[in-house]
Amino acid sequence: MSLEVAIVVEDAVEYSFAMEYHGPPITRELPRAVPINVDRIPVASVVSPLPFPDSLSLPVVQPISAADIIGKKLIKDLKLSSSSAELLTVSPTSVIAFESQNNEVSEGSYSKELGLGTETSVSPSSVINASVESETENRSSNDICALSGELSSDFECCNRDDVLSGVNERGYSSISHDEFVGGVGSSGVLESSDSFEKSMEFSGSLRKSRLSGAYKETLDFNESNRTDWESNESVLSVDYLSSRVSSRKFGDGNQDSGGGDVRRAPVVTFCDIESDDENVDDDYSRSEPEVVRMKKEPAAKVRKGACYRCLKGNRFTEKEVCMVCDAKYCNNCVLRAMGSMPEGRKCVTCIGYPISELKRASLGKCSRMLKRLLNDLEVKQIMKAEKFCEVNQLPPEYISVNGRPLYHDELVMLQSCSNPPKKLKPGNYWYDKVSGLWGKVGQKPLQIITPHLNVGGPVKANASNGNTQVYINGREITKVELRMLKLAGVQCAGNPHFWVNEDGSYQEEGQKNTKGFIWGKAGTKLLCAVLSLPVPSKSSDLCGEQISSSISRSMPDYLEQRVIQKLLLIGYSGSGTSTIFKQARILYKDIPFSEDEREHITLVIQSHVYNYIGILLEGRERFEEESLHELRQHQSCDGPDGTTPAGDVDGNGEETPYSIGPRLKAFSDWLLKIMASGTLEAIFPAACREYAPLVEELCSSVAFKATYKRRHELESLPSISSYFLEQAVEILKPDYKPSDLDILYAEHVTSSNGLACVDFSFPEPVYDGDDSGDLHDSLLRYQLIRLQAKGFGENCKWLEMLEDVRVVIFCVSLSDYDQFALDGDGNRVNKMMLSKKFFENMVTHPTFDQMEFLLLLNKLDSFEEKIEQVPLTKCEWFDDFHPVISRNRSNSNNSNHPTLGQLGFHYVAVKFKRLFAALTGRKLYASAVKALDPTSVDTALKYAREVLSWDEERPNVSLSEYSIYSTEASSFSH
Amino acid sequence: MSVAELKERHMAAAETVNSLKERLKQKRLLLLDTDVARYARSQGQTRVSFGLTDLVCCRTLQGHTGKVYSMDWTPEKNRIVSASQDGRLIVWNALTSQKTHAIKLPCAWVMTCAFSPSGQSVACGGLDSMCSIFNLNSQTDKDGNLPVSRVLSGHKGYVSSCQYVPDEDTHLITASGDQTCVLWDITTGLRTSVFGGEFQSGHTADVLSVSINGSNSRMFISGSCDSTARLWDTRVASRAVRTFHGHEGDVNTVKFFPDGHRFGSGSDDGTCRLFDIRTGHQLQEYNQQHDDNEAPHVTSIAFSTSGRLLFAGYTNGDCYVWDTLLAEVVLNLGKLQNSHDSRISCLGLSADGSALCTGSWDSNLKIWAFGGHRRVH
Repeated sequence: MSLEVAIVVEDAVEYSFAMEYHGPPITRELPRAVPINVDRIPVASVVSPLPFPDSLSLPVVQPISAADIIGKKLIKDLKLSSSSAELLTVSPTSVIAFESQNNEVSEGSYSKELGLGTETSVSPSSVINASVESETENRSSNDICALSGELSSDFECCNRDDVLSGVNERGYSSISHDEFVGGVGSSGVLESSDSFEKSMEFSGSLRKSRLSGAYKETLDFNESNRTDWESNESVLSVDYLSSRVSSRKFGDGNQDSGGGDVRRAPVVTFCDIESDDENVDDDYSRSEPEVVRMKKEPAAKVRKGACYRCLKGNRFTEKEVCMVCDAKYCNNCVLRAMGSMPEGRKCVTCIGYPISELKRASLGKCSRMLKRLLNDLEVKQIMKAEKFCEVNQLPPEYISVNGRPLYHDELVMLQSCSNPPKKLKPGNYWYDKVSGLWGKVGQKPLQIITPHLNVGGPVKANASNGNTQVYINGREITKVELRMLKLAGVQCAGNPHFWVNEDGSYQEEGQKNTKGFIWGKAGTKLLCAVLSLPVPSKSSDLCGEQISSSISRSMPDYLEQRVIQKLLLIGYSGSGTSTIFKQARILYKDIPFSEDEREHITLVIQSHVYNYIGILLEGRERFEEESLHELRQHQSCDGPDGTTPAGDVDGNGEETPYSIGPRLKAFSDWLLKIMASGTLEAIFPAACREYAPLVEELCSSVAFKATYKRRHELESLPSISSYFLEQAVEILKPDYKPSDLDILYAEHVTSSNGLACVDFSFPEPVYDGDDSGDLHDSLLRYQLIRLQAKGFGENCKWLEMLEDVRVVIFCVSLSDYDQFALDGDGNRVNKMMLSKKFFENMVTHPTFDQMEFLLLLNKLDSFEEKIEQVPLTKCEWFDDFHPVISRNRSNSNNSNHPTLGQLGFHYVAVKFKRLFAALTGRKLYASAVKALDPTSVDTALKYAREVLSWDEERPNVSLSEYSIYSTEASSFSH
Repeated sequence: MSVAELKERHMAAAETVNSLKERLKQKRLLLLDTDVARYARSQGQTRVSFGLTDLVCCRTLQGHTGKVYSMDWTPEKNRIVSASQDGRLIVWNALTSQKTHAIKLPCAWVMTCAFSPSGQSVACGGLDSMCSIFNLNSQTDKDGNLPVSRVLSGHKGYVSSCQYVPDEDTHLITASGDQTCVLWDITTGLRTSVFGGEFQSGHTADVLSVSINGSNSRMFISGSCDSTARLWDTRVASRAVRTFHGHEGDVNTVKFFPDGHRFGSGSDDGTCRLFDIRTGHQLQEYNQQHDDNEAPHVTSIAFSTSGRLLFAGYTNGDCYVWDTLLAEVVLNLGKLQNSHDSRISCLGLSADGSALCTGSWDSNLKIWAFGGHRRVH
């Protein structure tokens, strides 16, 4: 037996290594674990083989599975108390055995162990009781339960500072205490006393309090202790706030993982938060903040009523209280002690800790003192921060609806609905989703809130603990409600099951016809008021539409920060990022472009059209000269080819298809002159009205049409221009309003320079069934950020501002492979190579290290056309593109034979993927897209969403599954 | 003249310019017989010494949730505006360390902010290539946000720095990633003049900072990624008055010396330098030798009211206090108690010179001042 004990102790030591700390910086001093003096650890002496019943397998702890934590714990605790009572005969082993037990279960830090040790080993309670009472002013209760919490926290502090001195300073002088201190120091020896059994008892009650939490779920296994716990609820709820969180965890077993409470108390977590499998260790890591939480008692013990900082003043001086630790500060000290109050009224050391639930009611309610000290604006900012900062929010786990603690999103939905529950406090609630009835578990309804919210589980029949056998929407109603129903004239004979809608219309289950409206009569409302039953508020009449709007409603900032996923859209100029950006706006926004923007865009499009016309006119001149030249050559019969410079040809009355009349000629010359001087944009949109008729005439002229036919020979004319030139006359009318399609096609219309962003969420997919996953999706927002390539210099320092981007969407225009542009040094370089270089720059940029990249190969449509005419090998990067194409091209429509365009796309994608892998060793996601096609862009952005969710899930997926997703195409020889 | 010929001539001209520049540099070196530090030492100057409580962190302004990128003091009252990556401008009361305004920006990527001389409005600029002006007295909308009172748009690149022209609430100078600086008329929202850009004498890379001469507000300095600083006269936009070479990296920050005849600059090469605007010479280099070859970049600088001290923030979280005369570090705020945990991104001295405010990527601002008890003689 004793050997086993020793082994267990060793195991525990091995487990108690702390993990590396990654959390936020800690401003106060870290507690130091007291080193164990090996010599002083009492060696287990040989136990007389007497009183151990075989059934008691105490020191060996079986691994505990998550499901039956509660059960086992309770049993163990019970066992523990009983067994240690028995073990009393064999001290000191008994204590060690007990402690090792704790160690085994907790695996927490050393201080934690000590804390538990003290909890269990507080003997003669009366002595300590008295001393503590004399010391602390705000804990007047001499309840055992509170006391043990108190003590453990005290000793927590002691451990941090110096065990002995700390205790001595506080003037503990009883003998039992000295022993006790020794016990803490050497983690062990404790003499048993008469009251030990009692102390065990209340340690049990402590445990119980952890398990049951504030919910007073009847987990009582010891009636006498229960009364203790209840009478002391107020104090405990201060002390054991975070322990309650952990107790919730016990309560829900596996279902509620998520780092909610860990986030809320971002202090020291020694355990791996990521581990999703809920086991005992995990639970204890949850309760780990408790250790630190204890320290959130005011650091200094001060005289009753004095300021905690300057130690002056009495109980009558006005003071401000810290929302977390209850420390009180006087006029002079409050600003120093609370600093700039980024989370409201908290001591500087308490920043980041959740507030005491007792003070939730005073959240955002300013005291007179602050108003006197600070000006209105400052007070307003503090109160705003206090109310809306994340850490002060009601923890969702504290609210249980229909037997299930809420998720974060659910709580948000509950609080942000049009008719939210009033004064929401931690506790168990029931919610009838159909009628919107809302109440505390075991009680009649309190209120009618917005119905159809997808929160919590289904309402249970015994939710309000009714016994009338009359059911509303599956809930057995209470007597009061039944009386109300009867008085409201509802037939309740035969224990009917009613189906009540939010508007108060009710029908019997299984029947179609509405029998009436419960709240229809004026008297009913009065009646409800008398019986203190809720009636629907006026606003709930229009709830139907408000559900949908509640989702798109503006969220509190702390939520927004977390929920928004940022997608960065970049690409070399001309790669179509702006089109994709515009497409996203058109796709996901109700009003894609505001009136102001449209006005601006109109002007831009009009000046573009003038520009296109100018280019055409320039071409016309050239064509005219050429054809005149040809004409002359024809006339002079046989001259040498093309030696005569075109400039020599003077207008000599000869007519070509490209000639225009003198009036148009004047206009054309003027337009070209303006274009050459570069002031086209300054003059034109304004002069639209004046020149519209001229333009109309011009467009209908033969010469213009002839030139337009040869537009492909004009290099500077963008291909998109034909879309606008064909409706040039309409566009240049003064009252022209661009359609979404026009805007989509137009170039350079999105917020001219720099960065543009659009927030959107994907519209909910239309399928029925209350899948909670779909709820989470709809809450996710995305922000598409578009950057212009022009700004990317050699070292773009500001790229580091975009470090919180989740996915970089890199856009490449596929059809660029035969295009050339001038690079920075003025050399003619293939545009695909420029894109490639830009891609390399971005991928290797330190900001985007380890970031997911999604490659969008844009303009697939024009690529497919082009590749039939121009070989892909025109770009030097693609010189090894040798597709295997079946000779029989007539079969190319067959789906078995990919088209040349598809082959080309895959080839380019693989090229980029290999480049990416060579640069980063990671995988590049790639997709083809036609930016002008809405569904194509929608698919691409949804793919980005998949990349994101895949990124989140990847740690959970084993490597073998990973390989399935390999999209590396291997059909090309390299 | 053919294109090839033009190119050739351009090449030749560029070469000439470079050789002339080199000659200029040589000549300067030749003329530079001493620097400030050597002269001061020969005059028997001793370094400034700091007591334990002479400069301590006495306030921490917490409230931003992202990296702080920029801050500015009001000229008269003890108020500070700070800009952070969380997309907010916060106006602080430095005495109480409380926020008075928290302005949510339409574009979260803000790089710079400035207080107007009257303290009535604040300006900010960032990646949206615009400079937005907020009037602090205007009514908030229903969500509690302060509306933009004026947008200065026209830059073709990000706005990296902005400063109000002293004593004028209506004029503002911005520096931008489009290689230009612009003087704005806020009342009309139009550009009064553009410095650089298409003109040859302008910066050839992104301009990162501006500083207006306190004693002659027509002159201002700009620092740029082309590793030069340039002096401009707001009446002559066509060309820079002077170009200051010397730095071997991007000039991240420039600041006029209190007397207006000199200015300091801080750069990616890890040095701060002091230039004289009348001679165009570099007066002193402030460079702390580092053991590892990678010197931390200088992010921001400020002079004390007398000019004797130069405060410089570095990317490694250091904040040196330089004795400008002896070019020695007399204090490192980064090693003091309660110092920042991350890069110091901006710093500034209050108008009366009694306090220094530093902003950092650890999302806090700290105010440093005399921390002891003043003895009254």
